Formats: sequence, C-alpha cells, structure tokens
Amino acid sequence: MLSNFVLYIFQGISVTIAVTLVALPAGLIIGLGLALVYNYGGKWAARFAGIYSLLMRGVPPIVLLFILYFILSGKYINLSPFWAGSISLGIVSSAYQMEILRGALTAVGGGQMTAARAIGMSRMDAIRFIIIPQAVRLAIPPWSNEASIVLKDSSLVYALGVEEILRRAQQLSATTQQPFLAYGTAALIYFVLVFFANRGLDHLSEKLKLPTNPV
Amino acid sequence: MKRFLGLMSLLVLASLLLASCGGASGSHLDTIKQNGVIKVGTSADYPPFEYIDESGNRVGFDIELMEEIARRLGVTVEWVDMPFDSLIAGVQEGKIDASISAFNYTEERDQVVDFSEPYYMGEDAFLVAESFTGMIAAPEDVASFKVGVQTGTTQDAWLTDSLVAEGLLPEENLFRYDRADQAALDLKNGRIDVMMADYIPAAALAEQIGGLKIAYQAVISSGPTNIVIPEGDAELKQAIDEILVELESEGFIEALGLKYFQ
Repeated sequence: MLSNFVLYIFQGISVTIAVTLVALPAGLIIGLGLALVYNYGGKWAARFAGIYSLLMRGVPPIVLLFILYFILSGKYINLSPFWAGSISLGIVSSAYQMEILRGALTAVGGGQMTAARAIGMSRMDAIRFIIIPQAVRLAIPPWSNEASIVLKDSSLVYALGVEEILRRAQQLSATTQQPFLAYGTAALIYFVLVFFANRGLDHLSEKLKLPTNPV
Repeated sequence: MKRFLGLMSLLVLASLLLASCGGASGSHLDTIKQNGVIKVGTSADYPPFEYIDESGNRVGFDIELMEEIARRLGVTVEWVDMPFDSLIAGVQEGKIDASISAFNYTEERDQVVDFSEPYYMGEDAFLVAESFTGMIAAPEDVASFKVGVQTGTTQDAWLTDSLVAEGLLPEENLFRYDRADQAALDLKNGRIDVMMADYIPAAALAEQIGGLKIAYQAVISSGPTNIVIPEGDAELKQAIDEILVELESEGFIEALGLKYFQ
C-alpha cells in the first residue's frame, strides 16, 4: 500500500522536470535579451533592464508568482495552471539569469569589442561571434546554480494548482500521517534531480572549455 | 531604443486585443457544456471530504458528490488541486469554474463568490490529546489554552473574531497551520493544547493519528457546507442546486455520508 503511495510521489517527477524545462529556457531568453540590452542597449534601455532586475529580485518568488498568475493573466488570457505557473517562474528567474549573463558579458572585457571593431566587424557581429561565445562559457558555472534553484523553486507552482513532487508529498502526509516518509521521499527526489542536473552542466562546461580560457 | 519601445507597445496592444476577444462567448454554463468539462478546484488533503487514497486516487465525500453532479450536467470534472486558501481566489479570477472543498458559508466569502444550496451540515469540534485534563464546557473556554487551526477556515475566523479580537485569547496563543493534519500532529506532539476543526475531519484525524480525542462538539463556526460558484453566476448555481435537490431526495447524499463519515 505504502509503496503505491511512494510511486504516486514519483509521478510528480515528470511534472517538476517539465515545469523546470519551461521556466529555465523562458528565463534564459528573457534574461539574455535583458543582459544584452543592459550592456549594449544605451542608457535608457540599460536603466529599464536595471529596474526590471531590481524589482524582480526584490520580491519573494511566491509573491511574484501569485501576482503574475492571478493579476496579469486575468480572466481572459486563459493559460492552464501548468503554463501560467511555469512561465511565471521563468519570469522570476529571468532577472537572476540576466545578472549572471550581464556579469559574464562584462567579464569578456571591452578590449575584445575594440579589437573586433578594429578588424572591421560590425557591433552586432562582434557581440554575436566574439562576445557571446566567450560569455556563455563563463556563465555556465553560476548558471548551473540558478538551474538548481529553479528546479527546487518549481515546488512553488503548487500554489497555483500544479501537482508536482512537493504537493504529492503533502497529500501523502495528510492521508497516512507519516510526514517523515512523505517529505523524506520528496527530499531524496529533489536531491537526485539537482545532483544530476549539476553533473550534466559541469560536464558541458568542461566540454566547451577553450584552451586559452582559464575558467 | 525607439524600436524597442515600439515593440513593447505592440506587445501591450496585442495582449489587450487578446484580452478583449476572450469575453465574447456565451454564458458560463454554456461554455462548460460546450467543452464537456467543468474545472473544479479542491484541496485534496482533508480526509474524508477530499483526499488521495493509498493507490493515488482522488477520493472523498466531496469528490464523489461533484463527479455525480457533473455527470448529471453531462460533463466530466477536471480536478484542479490548490491550497485551500487559494481556492476562493481561483473562482474569483475564473481559473476554476467552481470549487468543492468542505466550504462553509460566511458573509466575507459571500461578498466575493456565490454559494450553492448546502449539501451537508457541519459541526465544529475541539480536538485534544488523550492526556488533556483541562475543562472545555463552552467554546469560549479554549481561550485559556494554546489553540491550533487551519488558516482561512471558518474556525480560524471564529477564533480570530470572537476570541482574539475580544481580548480573550492572546494572539500568540493562536497557531495557524496550512493544513489540518499539521495542526493535529503538533497537537499530538504537545506544541498546542487544543485544535479547532470541522467535526468529521477532526474525528478522522483523531482515529488516524491516535492518542487524540474530541473534547467538545457543537455548531460554532461551521454549519451549512456548500459548493463555491463564481459571483453572480445564477445559471450555474441554479443548475447545481437543482441537481443537489435531486440527489438529496434520492438518498444519494445520505449514502455518501454513510460511506465516508462512519
């Protein structure tokens, strides 16, 4: 009987992974756009990106999720809880990813841009072919940290009605009155997921390493 | 930058357009029937009203009742599981079509949503540890103990309005929990002295956890238990109410009670 229930928690894994796989790339796309705008978009664009990041990072994720879900996606834009929750989580994450990528872009150094321009590349080409490829490599270690945070924060979408690992563990606890078994199972699943996600990203970072790049 | 601003305003315009075309369809009940699906919110951590059984199925008094109502409406239920205190907001914002989760009628709730006719009359209970030696002869007597309650319930409102606001129960002696089972576990561990909840789930918790007993029961904050319906949705309310009357007269509801509350 109990093994059935543990299995029921395991069924939440696919939901947790799906939420993360929507939220992370959504946050990456928005975050990369904002980081580029911040570094190369001129004074006003940079200011906008700066304020966005400040606001998003200054409010607890769960509060933002509720605002994005209940207010911004009001009665008429009818996204399912899964999509609304995942995208909201992606928006929350975008501010952190923007900061990671902004740091990486800055770390590549102004000299690279000057050199690229000197050999006749346009600004856009220099960003695309010189700056971004190096910045991405620099960004992977801090980004893998953000990836594990998003994976763990995916439990927040339960508040919007998505039954993922944590919610299933709560239901198990409510029926069986065995909180240790329920939350222990959930903790183990999260740990294994984060562990393998980080190992995968470490591997990627190792593979993409440039001979000239000490990082 | 100008181009960027232009893009932003285009996006805003597009979302406004999207927002305006959604509202053009027929009545809420028509839409439900057309889709063949009614989205019903519940918080499946409240046995025996709504919970997940050992094989992972969503079961309980409310669950079976709602599925029968939906069957008679000619639709199926799409269950949306939310924390109890998000359910009213979910109905208000149109995220779910209705909600069944052992909701008692209160005036505060009635201001933002509507209620079906009651399908069950609830009682409140004070749950204590078996070793408890205090006296609870009237509801107000719990004011001299540490009291636990589930957030957002009618019991929470009663304790807050009738005991805390009146200065009988110190605020720091009222412990609010996300879910009823957390309060019951704390009661067993001696962190609180008394827990206030609906009688039926309290009795179920006492039996499941063991070492707990009901010290007092009466209609205090609870009473009529209803399905929550969007504010002003008279058509859906009427359809559900008619089915509830049918189910009552056929003895369906009584049979469900025997199945889950014994």
